[in-house]
Amino acid sequence: MKILVIEDDKKTGAYIADGLREEGHSVDLIANGAEGLVQASIGYYDVLIVDRMLPGVDGISLVKTLRGAKNRTPVLFLTALGGVDDRIEGLNSGGDDYLVKPFAFGELSARIAALGRRPQMQDEPTVLTAADLEMNLLTRKVKRAGQPIDLLPREFSLLEHLLRRKGRVQTRTMLMEAVWDIHFDPMTNVVDTHISRLRRKVDKPFATEIIETVRGSGYRIDAE
Amino acid sequence: MRGRALAIRSTPLRLTAIFLGIFILSSAASFAAAYLIIRANFDATLEDEIEQMIESYDAIDKQDALVNRLKDDVEVTDAELTILHYQPDRGAIIANVDGLPPVSDFSIIGEKAIDEGEHDISDSYLAKSERVGQGQLTVAKTRVQVVEMGEIILSVVLIGLLPTILLASIAGMFAARTARRRIDTIQKTLGELTGGQMTARVPVGKDDRDDLTTISTAVNAMASSQEALIASMRQVSTDIAHDLKTPIQRVAVILDEITRKTALSEGQTDLLEQALTETDRIVKTFQALLQLAQIEGGAVRDRFGPTDLQEVAADVVDFLEPDADEKGYHLDLTIADAAPYLVNGDRHLLTQVLANLIENGLRHTPIGSTIRVRLARSGTSVVLSVSDNGPGIPLGKHDKVLRRLYRLEQSRTTEGNGLGLSLVAAICTLHGAQLSLDDNTPGLLVRVVFPQVVEA
Repeated sequence: MKILVIEDDKKTGAYIADGLREEGHSVDLIANGAEGLVQASIGYYDVLIVDRMLPGVDGISLVKTLRGAKNRTPVLFLTALGGVDDRIEGLNSGGDDYLVKPFAFGELSARIAALGRRPQMQDEPTVLTAADLEMNLLTRKVKRAGQPIDLLPREFSLLEHLLRRKGRVQTRTMLMEAVWDIHFDPMTNVVDTHISRLRRKVDKPFATEIIETVRGSGYRIDAE
Repeated sequence: MRGRALAIRSTPLRLTAIFLGIFILSSAASFAAAYLIIRANFDATLEDEIEQMIESYDAIDKQDALVNRLKDDVEVTDAELTILHYQPDRGAIIANVDGLPPVSDFSIIGEKAIDEGEHDISDSYLAKSERVGQGQLTVAKTRVQVVEMGEIILSVVLIGLLPTILLASIAGMFAARTARRRIDTIQKTLGELTGGQMTARVPVGKDDRDDLTTISTAVNAMASSQEALIASMRQVSTDIAHDLKTPIQRVAVILDEITRKTALSEGQTDLLEQALTETDRIVKTFQALLQLAQIEGGAVRDRFGPTDLQEVAADVVDFLEPDADEKGYHLDLTIADAAPYLVNGDRHLLTQVLANLIENGLRHTPIGSTIRVRLARSGTSVVLSVSDNGPGIPLGKHDKVLRRLYRLEQSRTTEGNGLGLSLVAAICTLHGAQLSLDDNTPGLLVRVVFPQVVEA
């Protein structure tokens, strides 16, 4: 993917750029809001990573200007502010996702992947599959190797979320936000418990594991 | 008014009652004194008149002349004003009444003691009897004036004093109530200030210039300086949190780079993991401090809308239950009835309140404890409560645990940063909800009372 990073803190900027390059992305790094706006408008990028506080033009105004010019490039905001309002302000201005500093690289990488491959508006599938698992969205029935699996509503949502994003890592924070609409860090590893309960039903009775743990990042269902 | 006991305890009311009492007593005393003096005067005048009459009869030397004179006088003397009664040693009584009780020196005779015969008599007489010629002469003069004077004075009291007392009472009550109301306002403001609502002020009119205004102004000045102090303290902690975030981000970056780019031994990886966990904790503490500052700023209120606490409670319990269960705790949700529990607020913040309270319970109780979440209604309020059967919080410490960064001695070693309950308290204040901590005997009972929103 072609990614533009607009971040004024040199150390953080270099860290992001290096990490993304290692993952095989092509990355441009700019430390100033005004220059970043120009670069974002003329270059074709798959994803923009924008710090909210920038010299020159601040992150929010930058994205607003881009959106005003019908530029729809997905934007991930980075911020040192972590309050509820900041997140909402960021998303309202046209940002697509939001990450609070400091963050683990795995979290950033997972979110970039999600933004770069936003689900295209295809025909809504009625059956989601992975290996020998089948989820019917209409009857809300799950089967693996022909055996029916009984899931609680929230377990169903969790599995559905992972299935819809096959091959992409979903971090604990992403899962919490998407499945439970919870936007703060619980002190305990609550998500891990939900996953392990889901695994007990979906994976344990069978030979292969469908839900995979990605160390230091989160969870993923392999895309075959 | 809030009951008698309170009315008596109200200083202005009590003062009014005392002044009114003194006024009534002194008025009554002065009227009584005036009455007594006037009566004494009247009686003295009557005594003189009676003496003079007796003397004028006594001056007549001859018994026949005396008797004739008395007979004439009795004919023309109105018994209603003066009673003449002469009992000669020999012969018939000469009198303008039929019977009179024996008297000697000045004494008061009532109407009932007199046998008036066919004559009209008055209510009360002053009488004296003396030996005149060869017989006993009694002269009695009516005290009707004295009696009437007493009645007049009584009417003066009734007509004059009563309305005054009534008026004074009403004026006093009014003044007392006005003062009471102003004192109540001051008291309410002080309560709000104590409760952490630092923007509360006593309303002061421009033209008011009395002692209560002085107190109000002083209270407001105190509140303003407190507010400024707290604001600057908050600013400092927010600034520190902001300033430290970038260096912490860098530390995290460096640690992450080491893990990813350097070949590490087993022990080094563990140490790095620990360092990352600790940076994560620092970040979470800062995050919480910044969020606190933002919530206390109050701007989030713009986003408030009707929120169903029943959904919030179900979601949070659904989210936390498996983990609690896995660790050996019982998490239990009771909802009084199925109708929505609407409050005006922000769903995410309310979710956080409940999650923090449950996590707080899980963290500070031994494995096997039960955490109960209850949702109920009380009048026009929605009551959300979280209780446990753990060791609880010592009674005197209930207020302290709501302070930021405060941790009980017994919890120093557990997870957490001492901001969870401060956040809960701040979010409750923002929502106009009442947060209280009680003893659950055993354990802790946290109650949050929200004003219920009536669906339009």
